[in-house]
Amino acid sequence: MFKMMFGLQWKEFNRGKSVGGKLLAKILKWFGIIYFAFMAVGLGFIASRYGGPLMEFPVEKDTIAPFIYVNKLLIYVFIYLVVLRYFVQSLPILNIKALLLTPVLKKQIVRFSLLKTVFTYFNILPLFFLVPLTLSLARTGNYDITALIFWNVNIIGIIYITNFLNFLLNNKDKLLYGFLGFLALIKGLEFYSIVDFTEYSEKFFYLFYSHPYAVAFTWLLVFWLYDYVNKYMLQGLYIDTGLQVKIKEAKIEDFSFLDRFGKTATFIKNDLRLLKRSKRARTAVYMGIGFLFYGLLFVSFEDIYGSTGSFFGHLFSTGGFLFMFGSFVPSWDSQYYPLMMTQNIEYKEYLNSKWSLMIIGTAISTVLASLIYSFFGTNAVFAVLAGAFYNIGVNGYLTLWAGAYTKSPIDLNSSANAFGDKKAINAKTMLVGIPQFALPIIVYYFTSQYYDHLTGCLAVAAIGALGIFLKPVAFSLILKAYKTEKYSTLKAYKSN
Amino acid sequence: MIKIENFIKKYSKQTVLEIDSLDIPIGQTFGLIGNNGAGKTTLFSSLLDLIKPSKGRVINNGIDVSESEDWKSFTTAFLDETFLIGYLMPEEYLYFIGELRGLNKKEVDAFLAQFEDFFHGEILGGKKYLRDLSKGNQKKVGVIAALIGEPKVVILDEPFANLDPTTQIRLKAIVKDMSKNKDVTILISSHDIQDVTEVCERIVLLEKGRVIKDLVTSPQTLKELESYFKGE
Repeated sequence: MFKMMFGLQWKEFNRGKSVGGKLLAKILKWFGIIYFAFMAVGLGFIASRYGGPLMEFPVEKDTIAPFIYVNKLLIYVFIYLVVLRYFVQSLPILNIKALLLTPVLKKQIVRFSLLKTVFTYFNILPLFFLVPLTLSLARTGNYDITALIFWNVNIIGIIYITNFLNFLLNNKDKLLYGFLGFLALIKGLEFYSIVDFTEYSEKFFYLFYSHPYAVAFTWLLVFWLYDYVNKYMLQGLYIDTGLQVKIKEAKIEDFSFLDRFGKTATFIKNDLRLLKRSKRARTAVYMGIGFLFYGLLFVSFEDIYGSTGSFFGHLFSTGGFLFMFGSFVPSWDSQYYPLMMTQNIEYKEYLNSKWSLMIIGTAISTVLASLIYSFFGTNAVFAVLAGAFYNIGVNGYLTLWAGAYTKSPIDLNSSANAFGDKKAINAKTMLVGIPQFALPIIVYYFTSQYYDHLTGCLAVAAIGALGIFLKPVAFSLILKAYKTEKYSTLKAYKSN
Repeated sequence: MIKIENFIKKYSKQTVLEIDSLDIPIGQTFGLIGNNGAGKTTLFSSLLDLIKPSKGRVINNGIDVSESEDWKSFTTAFLDETFLIGYLMPEEYLYFIGELRGLNKKEVDAFLAQFEDFFHGEILGGKKYLRDLSKGNQKKVGVIAALIGEPKVVILDEPFANLDPTTQIRLKAIVKDMSKNKDVTILISSHDIQDVTEVCERIVLLEKGRVIKDLVTSPQTLKELESYFKGE
């Protein structure tokens, strides 16, 4: 039975549209996974000798400080794991409706969907960290080996708890908002140093080392959660429950204040509604907001990454929305592309409206990013502004141009389906991003090496400014690409 | 109004549509009938430049549709649900289409007033997005949207299929009413010979991508088509 279902999944992948693109995306994804696996192994070894920022590295031989430190941080690891899963891990999709009338038992359909997730890389990757960590810790002779093994079993249990929790978070909005609230509370309490959660984290996770039998509770919870999700999904297998699109009460939204921008506004209004009403499109906005803080990663570690590193961070921080929304033009309109192609508008106006929205998004991001990074001095703000210029003057066109060749349709309505794939991130969009970010980094690197930071920023901004002036040229090239690709795009979108 | 010249559409080696010459004059209500796979949708799609012919041209009011986009200003169509925007409410969708055709909200509202009984009080003023409407109601919105803005060419692919009996009768009345206006060329396809003979002035029968019959509708047409499809 499972074999048959695997067969169906394989055919779905193999016979879908744009197999080539999907394959490339898969390969990239696996490169990423292998990269992370290596990182995890390295991190495991390092963590086994690292006792926290206050201690010397590597730590002295007869201390269990590294183990304590790992336990301290575990709470954050798990919180981020849940967040990451929510955004990246796709839930198994099967053509459920077609299977409902076949002799396949509903239980088997659900069990297959659930058990398939047991082997996703989200559950396997942590082992690449845990195994080297444990081996390396055990070698010091400071630990009780049996207890360490039980501690590992507990961690794996918690990983599976997050796995099944992800199903529920994806399907129960209340639970999701609850979790987000909890997250904000934790972060807030920690920020104002009211409560230090790492202390509780340390005590809690250490418990499974000092009292190994406690592991039974974790695994009981795992099985209870599995059972709960199983039942929940089983209930959802009716066309009027989980498989049905949840109907939300609609409200007319006007946006008539945009009317003064003419035909461009007509489309922007629609795109704003799209961003508000489609969960998948909303992800682009959330990602845009998330990327605003991307530069912080580099700013806080500037001595490791150097100024080129933080320049990369700043470049990204203003381009998040442009990148996440623009990469899916025209796929956002895939479901009604024939309509767009027959209405009383020219292709140019259509593309211009998309571009304008990307630019508006970038402009808003720039203002916000400038505010955020102003805490880190004027140099950071210069980098943000240079990045913004480059994003507007170059990346906007590049993203739009690449869109002509992106032919994977987006199912905007799938968001409310219990078994639907709600993820808007794919590796292909990442691939397009490489040239977009490599060039400014190289330009900045050389100019800032020979001259200084400000010159580097100016050089990158100058390329962007040039791009803004060359808009008619860029647009005629983009238009040409879209026109040649029109028919094959229509065809690819049709057989969704 | 519409001319098709030396038209051939092939997928790999299979010819799906081949029309040497077809001329649809201004103001005609033109019906297209045929079995599944006869090429009806292919023909309509190429009139709208959604499909590129392997050979030949489609001329709409003197404009080669694959060369220029000017035909878009006087041509409207509803082929299938890909002409609907699911995340909009029916009103928003109709306003959107209206805006593209140069009509403001008030004008769209005035236009819609005449279709109140067609919408049966179910569609406008509801609290649903288009994606949440039933297939039949979606179709009603799509067909009416194709009539906004006084188009000169209206292309409807199987407009009567999947509609409830009341709506079918009302839609036929709307089409007949429109065909009285001799500026508007209407193209309709259907599986139902009764429907096309009732509404259209001229009927073209497609079979395996070729024009088999080209008839001016008369009292005998229904019989003739019936006997053809029976295989007599």
